[in-house]
Amino acid sequence: MDEKNKLIKIANRVQDALARLQEKRWLELLNCLTSLTSEFQQTASQARKIGLSLTHSWLTAAQECSSSIGRSLGDLQYWIQRAKQLIEAPNIEVPKLSFLVEELKQLQQEFGSVDFDKAENTISVVTEPITLDDVYLGPFKIQLKIDKLSDLYASCPYYCLALDPHPAATSEDVTHPHVSNERPCEGDGYAAIRAALEQGRLCDFFTLARSILNTYSPDSPYVRLDEWDGQACYECGYVTDGENSYFCSFCDQTFCEECSTCCRSCDETVCNSCSQLCAYCEESTCPNCIRECPKCKRLYCSSCLEEDLCPKCKEELENENEQHANQNTRTDKDGSPEQSKTTQPEIQHSS
Amino acid sequence: MKILFIDNDGGGFADYVEAAQGTTVENFFNEKMPGRKPEDYLIRVNRLPVPKDNVLRDGDRVTITPLKIEGAKS
Repeated sequence: MDEKNKLIKIANRVQDALARLQEKRWLELLNCLTSLTSEFQQTASQARKIGLSLTHSWLTAAQECSSSIGRSLGDLQYWIQRAKQLIEAPNIEVPKLSFLVEELKQLQQEFGSVDFDKAENTISVVTEPITLDDVYLGPFKIQLKIDKLSDLYASCPYYCLALDPHPAATSEDVTHPHVSNERPCEGDGYAAIRAALEQGRLCDFFTLARSILNTYSPDSPYVRLDEWDGQACYECGYVTDGENSYFCSFCDQTFCEECSTCCRSCDETVCNSCSQLCAYCEESTCPNCIRECPKCKRLYCSSCLEEDLCPKCKEELENENEQHANQNTRTDKDGSPEQSKTTQPEIQHSS
Repeated sequence: MKILFIDNDGGGFADYVEAAQGTTVENFFNEKMPGRKPEDYLIRVNRLPVPKDNVLRDGDRVTITPLKIEGAKS
């Protein structure tokens, strides 16, 4: 009898919350109609002002009233649409007490035990330990807050609490690929969960929530399971997630942002150990783009080399070539003078 | 005969549907959930697990809930 009375008390609380939920729908409709009435009155007032303005040929005033009516018509459209949605939404009856008691009994059968916390006004069940893709996540407590049922359309009324948390390495708040800060993201289960709760089908709700916890959707998790334990940087050991890890194809290892860089010549990701600094521009360069100047034997990026020489060596070579060219010209003048073909016109002597 | 069918797959349909006399749970599932496997679902008749050859009766409540539902991140 005590157990039955307990179930009845809990069912009573749930029934009250669902009744408040239904009441909120009508309250919202009332609010909607009040706003609609107010907008109509304002529109009518502006219309009277237009009439008065035209009587006095105050065309500018008439224009301003017309603009104001234009804005009101937009608001009217919104309130009419919203009111229509609320009126046309299917009517959901508040479930009977006996129905809710049966739901609670079925819940006990399905989950083995159900916890009713009178002070917190919650109903909770515990799942079996969950392992997804060989990643152990532990058991979860699905906790429904009865008070929050009346806000079902505005917020999530339940939590998924990890009882033996094994959160993602990169975020302690993510205890399950689809749970963050104890809040699940229902994905495909959203509509069915809302329908189950508003109809008072408590066992269906908890079963659906458990189904979400037992499923991994690799397309849209908070943290992917293959990155659950994070990725340690090969250089410093810092653990980070996939988005902040960088793969060096030269040494085939993964590094964090601090221990890797980008080749300025080809944009390839390269770790700090595999990259070298160009001796001229001092930019990081990958092994494919670094070259040795054959003259000075120092390393430069391919962008800084001109005709395979570094800028300094090239300049030196040009200077040398110029000097050689000048020396050759002086030698010719001292040795066998050559007239320059470009110069003086031939002087003709008359006989 | 009328069966109260609660389909928790998708939008959470809950309404009375017609079923022929002598329809078993297995037949009912195959008709309402074509292409799906029963082992992927929790099937309850009048809140109880029943064998697949259980014959449905007028007024029975049949609930079908998927065992796997893909969540997402917000």
